Amino acid sequence: MYVLGISCYYHDSSAALLKDGVIVAAAEEERFTRKKHDSSFPLNAITYCLKSQGITIKDVAHVGFYEKPFLKFERVLSQHLEMFPKSFKTFLSSTPSWLNEKLRVLRTIRKKLKYTRGVMFIQHHMAHAASTFLPSPYEKAAILTIDGVGEWTTTAWGVGEGNNIVLHEDIRFPHSIGLLYSTITAYLGFSVNNSEYKVMGLAPYGDMNRETNPFYKKLRKVIDIKEDGSFRLDLSYFIFHYADRMPSKKMCKLLGGPIAKRDTTMTKRHQDIAAALQLVTEEVITKLLISLHKKTKLDSVVLAGGVALNSVYNGKILRSTPFKNIWVQPNASDGGTSIGVALYIYNTLLNKKRVYHLHDAYLGPSYTTAQVKRFLDKNKINYTTFASDKELVETTAKLVATNHVVGWFQKGMEWGPRALGARSILASPCNPEAKELLNEKVKHREKFRPFAPVVCEDDALTYFESDKPVPEPTDFMLMVYPVVKKWRTAIPSVTHVDGSGRLQTIRRAQNPLYYDILKAFGKHTGVPIMINTSFNIRGEPIVCSPYDAYKCMMGTGIDYLVMDKFLIKRDDNPQDKWDSEQYAKD
Amino acid sequence: MKSFLLGFKKGFKLFSENIALIVNVVLLTFVYVIGIGITSLVAKLFGKHFMAMRLDKKKKTYWEKLELKKESMDSYYRQF
Ligand SMILES: [Fe+2]
Repeated sequence: MYVLGISCYYHDSSAALLKDGVIVAAAEEERFTRKKHDSSFPLNAITYCLKSQGITIKDVAHVGFYEKPFLKFERVLSQHLEMFPKSFKTFLSSTPSWLNEKLRVLRTIRKKLKYTRGVMFIQHHMAHAASTFLPSPYEKAAILTIDGVGEWTTTAWGVGEGNNIVLHEDIRFPHSIGLLYSTITAYLGFSVNNSEYKVMGLAPYGDMNRETNPFYKKLRKVIDIKEDGSFRLDLSYFIFHYADRMPSKKMCKLLGGPIAKRDTTMTKRHQDIAAALQLVTEEVITKLLISLHKKTKLDSVVLAGGVALNSVYNGKILRSTPFKNIWVQPNASDGGTSIGVALYIYNTLLNKKRVYHLHDAYLGPSYTTAQVKRFLDKNKINYTTFASDKELVETTAKLVATNHVVGWFQKGMEWGPRALGARSILASPCNPEAKELLNEKVKHREKFRPFAPVVCEDDALTYFESDKPVPEPTDFMLMVYPVVKKWRTAIPSVTHVDGSGRLQTIRRAQNPLYYDILKAFGKHTGVPIMINTSFNIRGEPIVCSPYDAYKCMMGTGIDYLVMDKFLIKRDDNPQDKWDSEQYAKD
Repeated sequence: MKSFLLGFKKGFKLFSENIALIVNVVLLTFVYVIGIGITSLVAKLFGKHFMAMRLDKKKKTYWEKLELKKESMDSYYRQF
């Protein structure tokens, strides 16, 4: 039995296909349209899902959507009713998309997919909860979902047991940790629903001490946090509930200046504001989790919603709360809800036993050796073929060890915002210039942001002060841990200013070649850790197809591309027609 | 002639798009002022709020009861 889950029209639209209880394909629309955070109807992602199984929509038993559109519209109308006449401008700008698109989703699904049966609509936070509990390894777990906003809910807690989920309590719009985080992201001049992770990366440069950070006490004024972690925002500091901007004049006054312009150089003040935001966020979630543990008395917790992508805090959860186990799916934000929808319909609504555990994130399009070869030959690209996996591993490890930047294209594209060894750029963390080199030649990104290390799971505890055993979400780059002190100088490019690293751990069963390269790289350099950064130029989605990968390499400073069993050297091929440097944007 | 027709077609498309935009704005303004405005003013007269706007320092918790669980299959085919 096939079930199709769909999420769209907010940001990061996606589709996921389940076959007899197992997610067999899932991808975000942006990877196909090459439009970052594309929120349009995910026709390309759906087409990929169906094609990957050689089926048509007629073979799909159920189609589900990630929210109840009319409930959400009720909330939007309530905002206008409450905020009349201040909301006039937003009413004019947002109502057409509601009438033409969002309230017509049933018709769109039927028309675009030629689907004739009913569509199931799952409440948004239930889709989040299902997306993280049902594919988790736990039979029973506490659930916490925190995002910007769904229909009304912004935060919810509940319990998952077997194939059933109950969400007991919630906090409702406009009171939202996600929207608080986005408001400060906007205040610091970054784009909302895109750059929240940059603010997280900026925070360690600021003062992470509550007593001495000058903005911590100020930010605590904008939120009232109860002992059980429940909270409300003081709305005089915000205007997101009636306008398209986020911080109010009062917030600007509180933080001592106007909203920062795009690409403003971050000063100590900005860094301290980012740190204060991280401190407040951690304070709320810690209280929420401690009280959740008190209520559920369970050892395991699963998280979902955009806030669950705060890997800096995720890495602290097991140390600062009584929970013993944590699991988060790689696509914890809205884009990830389509797998939640599919699993909820199959496991919970149809009452089928859970048979699926999400071990790796390689759910996107993959290409056979023949397909890759056809692409290379058709485009007259010069390449060599590895005689064996052993040669591939040895050569790639040697290239990275000799400070070359290598594009790495294998397996199915990653599910979620992080490159995890299928569409990655690899470089040596031992090279002190690697960060500069990658930033200038490939990534064009903010200088303050560190690169992420990848390490074999069995080596992780040697180099990182991780929880023991290493939690599974570390495989999805969702946990930040301190680098062991004596190794910090050996791997400067991946050690953040506070001594931490946003590591990815890899287990051999997930991706044998990637694992073997790390081990081989370790033999060359003495440190089995590489830089793993996403295979894209700044502002573009991660590459999906061989064409995207080759174009990205030729337009940037990537030296080699290892694609399937082929090695392509940038200098062996003409660069002019593939120049993509000009497309780099935020 | 062909380019004239193409230009005419393009111009007409732009014109009709602008007209549609103006009609939309007029209609939406009407709905906003009459529909949203009157309801909002009447509600405010009776002290009704559509969202929880204020902090309540005396409250022990801001959690609200949700009890969201598996419902009848029919309910999932509804968009509300
Ligand atoms: Fe969400």
